[in-house]
Amino acid sequence: MKFWGVRLASILGAVAFCFLLEGVAQGQSSFVQRLFVLAGLYVTLAVSLNLINGITGQFSIGHAAFYQVGAYTAGFCASRFFAQLNLPPAAWLLLMMITSAITAGLAGLLVGLPSLRLKGDYLAIVTLGFGEIIRIFAQNQEALGGAYGLTVAPKIQYVWAAWLLAILCIAVCRNLLRTAHGLPFLAVREDEIASSAMGVNVTQTKVVAFVLGSMFAGAAGAILAHFESFVSPPMFTMDVSFTIVTMVVLGGTGSITGSVLAAILLFYLPEKMRDFTNIPLSGVAAAFVAISAAVFAIRWVMQNFHGSAKDRAIRYLGIVVGALVIWFISKALLGNVPSLKENIDGSKLRMVVFSITLVVLMLLRPQGMLGHHEFSWDWVRSKFGKPTVKEATA
Amino acid sequence: MTVLPDLLAGLEFSTLPQQLVNGILLGAIYALIALGYTMVYGVLKLINFAHGEVFMLGAYTALFTSWSFGFTQAGSRQDSSPGILIAMLIVSMTVCGFVGVLIERFAYRPMRSQPRIASLITAIGISLLLQYGGQLFLPSSPPPSISDKVNPFKGNIEIPLKPADSALLAQAEQLKAKVTSTKAAYDEQLKSEKDSFNLSPVGKGLRTASQDAERDYRNAIDKANKDALVITLPQGQVIMLVTTVVLMIILTWLVMKTTAGRAMRAASLDFDAASLMGINVNTVIAFTFFIGSALAGAGAMMNASFLGGTKIDTFFGMLPGVKAFVAAVLGGIGNIPGAVLGGILMGLAETMVIWAGYGNYKDAIAFIVLIVVLLVKPGGLLGSNKVEKV
Amino acid sequence: MSLLQLDQATIKFGGLIAVNSVSFELKKGDLFGLIGPNGAGKTTCFNLITGVYKPTSGKITFDGKEIGGTPANKIANLGIARTFQNIRLFKSLSVLENVVVGGFLRHKTPLISALAYLPNVIKETQSLKAEAMELLKIVNLDKVADVRSADLSYGMQRRLEIARAMATQPKLLLLDEPAAGMNPQEKEELNAMVKHIRDEVGLTVLLIEHDMRFVMSLCERIVVLDAGKEIAAGPPDAIRSDPKVIAAYLGEAV
Repeated sequence: MKFWGVRLASILGAVAFCFLLEGVAQGQSSFVQRLFVLAGLYVTLAVSLNLINGITGQFSIGHAAFYQVGAYTAGFCASRFFAQLNLPPAAWLLLMMITSAITAGLAGLLVGLPSLRLKGDYLAIVTLGFGEIIRIFAQNQEALGGAYGLTVAPKIQYVWAAWLLAILCIAVCRNLLRTAHGLPFLAVREDEIASSAMGVNVTQTKVVAFVLGSMFAGAAGAILAHFESFVSPPMFTMDVSFTIVTMVVLGGTGSITGSVLAAILLFYLPEKMRDFTNIPLSGVAAAFVAISAAVFAIRWVMQNFHGSAKDRAIRYLGIVVGALVIWFISKALLGNVPSLKENIDGSKLRMVVFSITLVVLMLLRPQGMLGHHEFSWDWVRSKFGKPTVKEATA
Repeated sequence: MTVLPDLLAGLEFSTLPQQLVNGILLGAIYALIALGYTMVYGVLKLINFAHGEVFMLGAYTALFTSWSFGFTQAGSRQDSSPGILIAMLIVSMTVCGFVGVLIERFAYRPMRSQPRIASLITAIGISLLLQYGGQLFLPSSPPPSISDKVNPFKGNIEIPLKPADSALLAQAEQLKAKVTSTKAAYDEQLKSEKDSFNLSPVGKGLRTASQDAERDYRNAIDKANKDALVITLPQGQVIMLVTTVVLMIILTWLVMKTTAGRAMRAASLDFDAASLMGINVNTVIAFTFFIGSALAGAGAMMNASFLGGTKIDTFFGMLPGVKAFVAAVLGGIGNIPGAVLGGILMGLAETMVIWAGYGNYKDAIAFIVLIVVLLVKPGGLLGSNKVEKV
Repeated sequence: MSLLQLDQATIKFGGLIAVNSVSFELKKGDLFGLIGPNGAGKTTCFNLITGVYKPTSGKITFDGKEIGGTPANKIANLGIARTFQNIRLFKSLSVLENVVVGGFLRHKTPLISALAYLPNVIKETQSLKAEAMELLKIVNLDKVADVRSADLSYGMQRRLEIARAMATQPKLLLLDEPAAGMNPQEKEELNAMVKHIRDEVGLTVLLIEHDMRFVMSLCERIVVLDAGKEIAAGPPDAIRSDPKVIAAYLGEAV
């Protein structure tokens, strides 16, 4: 009885949270509402890709394709069937989320069955290729609006729908990892040959992860299509896939909480940067110099210095101060270069920030923010305080 | 079973030889880039995602070099010489070579002890950084292009494969006679007409006859021309092809006959064993990156200067990069002759798709080829399939 | 009755015949050794039995069923479990989780109820964990159940591989060089453990081992391979004095 009580309470809690967000967003500008919805969609995309990349270890970099399949499914259905069915918007949106999840899942099956025989970088590049093929196909299909895209009516802008999907996606992945059913997925990531020797059907496990991840991306696509009330091929380029990959990598492959945090951070940060409209180019160039210097200095300390945590922290602090000094000096020097005298818009820095995030992460902390861990206060305490009991016995 | 003839009926076979030649020319560029992928993969087992961006930087270097010779957009300089082209080629190759070495030193070398996927993520990061970071610092909107005045070789080389069928030509001649006669008759009639805008029925009849004869003649001439096969090669493209072949011969010599090349081959067979045998693998890898990137630089310079008006932006290397990667996989990644073969086949595949009337899908074909190769023969055409040791 | 039977099993890789018409038979309850110099084809034999490779020709019968070329995961389900020569643990999983993966092939609940976190799945997970804990006690790793398996010592990792294989509840256990890299005391413990597994748990055991003293003292019957061919078979005493075996090992004291 207690179990079902907790279950009911958490479902009600999730629903309450979603409508709380809806309430908060209602009073705001349409720009802020957009942020709320897209943040929810990116959380869904990142967590669902993490199921494939992090938990099952199948490095896919074409997730935007399934997002696109979902969005186009909803767009296509809306133009054909919405007027006839005459459903209320909420019911229609839920119906479209399910339909899009199914078509995206089928696309995932289509892509996954052949390509999951491949490993590592080959799989990555094939998923990228499939993503492009799907985009180019849509671009040349008159029924799907070709290069101009499809107008999607009606416009349905529910913040709650995006976040309900995000929470569902998080819950599903977390449930999987809390039960023994999650272990074969992790085992496949660790060692395929040993997994199959333990009776795990490796292909089936990979395909299930792939299809499940694609389904969530598809449902997110349906919400996007109705929110923007428009879908077109340029909305689903490789950049979108790389953005989602960056979120997963930053959060830590395999860590659901990591993906959620990274998705919100990496979605919010570039949006915030749009506010800065007059960034001197010399400052950006100086930042490149300072960041590079800091990264290699930190690497040097990590490899050559084995003092106490406190001494280490002091050195890192020194590096940060040093980097700021380098930034300041090189900005002054570069300010004289004629071609660096312009100012640029913060929005142009979006993908630059992502790419630097990827490279710096790989150089300093390849396991991502949280590694394979989940965010919990115990974990934070173990990082900063005394070792926990588990680590002491190890 | 009537589908195939229907499909074939839509094809213009008379343009096929020209398209095949175009495909080989395009393929030569892909082959140059593919060599870089394949050499790096051979030694490091790393897909150098940023290789396409090295190609892009090569095009920019060529652009800046041409500017420094005075071939700016304002167009102040008119005369060019082969010497300037050679200078552009050498500068592009050198700059790209060093860019490749720098990328290896600061991005890939620290990743060598990490899982392979970490190297892949770094490579993607570097590629995006050069694309989007480059956008901030390099001229890209509107995309510049190298002045076509740089290229002094403007003429075409025409290779007649087959003259037009004489019967067709004779037929056309006959029709030409008819054109002259009907035209003369019409002109004669015109003199007697009062109002040339409002012809009498006789005049109208003669005019129609004259126009019909004219049309028949044109059709006959077109038919005769289509029957004749002439391949037109712009001189610039021939020079591209020759340069590519020369570079490949130099590369083969370098890899097969020199000590550095032997060290490279040893490292690609067994990295650890090579280093135990006293080979400085870091030097070998730097050398590999230098050569591979320099070849991409050569390809970029030629692509941007000889194909008139090629627009350069920071995404210039993306599609050629992807296609060349596919070429490397198709030929068998890690295999140098394979990269050349794969490059040529990719170039042909692309022009064939355009020829068949599916030009919209010319960028998708690369991925389709890739997927088919990886699923059917993952080792590539000239590669070997390895089994994982248990 | 015969549990596993190899009948002229052969596999070729290109021109190399790694296993050349090898035939032997294991009876239920056997403690069977497979020995031979490096490159003799012992591990390849294991790979044939466990479905990693498909035999080029010949028959492999397990429990009355022909299993040559059956996928590895199906073979595990039929009741053959193995360990690996070059340890293949799920490195970033805990010791306990490694063993639960082994037990997972007996799961009854569908994936969908796991995604919904239904009580039957929770119950199943708990019981799988409890079973895994029992196995960890047998191999004496219950105290480190929550440690990441990559952090274990070499000897512990070998024992964990055994526990993980046993978690599949097999009829036949294949051990690939279980004593490699162990010190004499650890080998002693391993010897006792393998006997326990056969006598108390009731499994049939087939093992590859290089340490002759270990094999001779443990196994009741031995097959010797050399260059892919079977050169001798019989009880330890007969093997020890077989001239062909001595020749194969070239003077190594057997």
